[in-house]
Amino acid sequence: MKEATSSGGGGGGGAGVNDPRQPSTARQYTPPKLSPQDLPIDYAGFLAVVFGVLGVMLRYKVCSWIAIIFCAQSLVNMKNFENDLKQLSMAFM
Amino acid sequence: MATASSIRPPRAALVLLLLALSFSLTLAAHFEGFGSDDLHSAHADAASADDEDDEGLDVELPPPPRISLSTSTPSPPVTTTTTTTSAPNPNPDPNPTLTPPNPTPTLDLWDEDEFEGIPVPEAASSDESSTPAEAAPSDPAADAAAEAAPAPPRRPAELLRAYTVEIACVSFLICFLLNYFTGKRQNEAIALAWATRFATRDSIFDKNFSLLGTGDGKDTPLLMKEGQDVFKFYASGRRYCQGMLATMEMRARHDLLSKLVELVFPRKDTITFEVVMNEEAMDHVMLAVARKKAAKTMQKEERDLQKFAGVLTSAPAGRRWVADELAVVAESKEVAGDMITEAVLDQVLGDKAFEKFGKWFISLHFSDQLAGSYKKVLSFKFVLPDASNMAEMTRLVALVPYYIDLVGRYKLSNHARSKTEAARTKASQEAFREQQGLRQEALQRKKAEKKKLMEEAEAKLSAEALRKKEEKERARQMKKSMPKVKMLRS
Repeated sequence: MKEATSSGGGGGGGAGVNDPRQPSTARQYTPPKLSPQDLPIDYAGFLAVVFGVLGVMLRYKVCSWIAIIFCAQSLVNMKNFENDLKQLSMAFM
Repeated sequence: MATASSIRPPRAALVLLLLALSFSLTLAAHFEGFGSDDLHSAHADAASADDEDDEGLDVELPPPPRISLSTSTPSPPVTTTTTTTSAPNPNPDPNPTLTPPNPTPTLDLWDEDEFEGIPVPEAASSDESSTPAEAAPSDPAADAAAEAAPAPPRRPAELLRAYTVEIACVSFLICFLLNYFTGKRQNEAIALAWATRFATRDSIFDKNFSLLGTGDGKDTPLLMKEGQDVFKFYASGRRYCQGMLATMEMRARHDLLSKLVELVFPRKDTITFEVVMNEEAMDHVMLAVARKKAAKTMQKEERDLQKFAGVLTSAPAGRRWVADELAVVAESKEVAGDMITEAVLDQVLGDKAFEKFGKWFISLHFSDQLAGSYKKVLSFKFVLPDASNMAEMTRLVALVPYYIDLVGRYKLSNHARSKTEAARTKASQEAFREQQGLRQEALQRKKAEKKKLMEEAEAKLSAEALRKKEEKERARQMKKSMPKVKMLRS
């Protein structure tokens, strides 16, 4: 296995230069800019809102509980970069 | 219930009628949920009307107020049977005759939605014994009273039944929380195993890239966690390429609901390497390798492949080729033949190697015309093994630097180059034309909108003004046309 690694990595660098590294060309990572519109759809959050509204309107307790569960799922699935874009406060009512 | 017993047998027919009436009303109430107030008052009205009929029939009848009371405020007798401490009940049972027939107290007690779907045996019995008119509001009221009671002698089974939904949901939430922590740890373990295997000192990426990790290279973590199931690894500082971003997408182990969904639609942990090549380092290379079905969908869905490449039906003559399960999508046979070298066939894509490592392979996709912020990108998609079997994908990971060098050094032959060049200029022209068309369309739309706005504004003017304007216009046109005629004649 080690052989394969070196042949793959080192085999490429056969043309005179053995070290393919070029520290001078290194660039730092720049996270891609994301606009709030491009974010993936938060299905769980959407369902949470739907069930929450249903629960309030029809006064079904089960609906409200389902809304809480979906809300938890939405929270759990949240990405790090969304933290500042989203407001957490309204989650649990 | 007391009034129920006071009603005499001769009025059995009447009672039956009432029963039917109230039964339909109860049904309505159960289905409606809303407007219970109206129902109650209607109820009370109907009952009192019947009471008057009663008086006409029988002289020995107890005074009407009592009966009307029984219909409108049915809760007191029930509460006495079940509990003594029903606080919200404003009608104390010792003097039931004093209470006026107002529907609000029953409403307060009757919170039907709160105790929906909970079977209560006592309610059923009271249904049969009580006045039919009483039946509708009585059973939920009884429930309410029973629920409100803090009385200790309640059996645990009953309590369990009353709070089924709550118990189920809370226990589910607890499971959810526990699963969140364990699943999170599992995902992290896999990502860390990958990083220690391939990105630590003297490992394959350390030998190939001068900057590892998303920071400035000193004392920064290698992996960036972008969610509980997404990890990223960045490397840069290598010839031919600007940088490489590896994105690990794990199964949603931290999310119990997604886990349940994955039972039906299984998923795998995947890792995607995206290498952004230098502008000058990549010639016209367009190639994708995947399993047959996936290759076909890729060819249809990826725009660059769709435009420039097609599925290769046969292998280049006289050469060993990829495993049978795989299909190659390429712009030309020459490119495919040059890119899929003997070494690659030996290591991964050939028949023998693929039997062993095929399960970790998903796809390769090299393109110099990718739609996106970067045009020249090599992307590799693999399946991530378990944390303990990470060594199995070493050969696949080794493909990444190998192909960076191969593609970086590759130059097309003149013949093939002229072809690809033609295709690219054609495509760019098409794109330009498309854009122009779009721009023109937008312009036209803007014009039309302006016109519409003007028209609307005109329409808003009063009819008088419009008429005047038209007249003016006509006069102007007449003026315009008159001299012309004259000119012609003269």
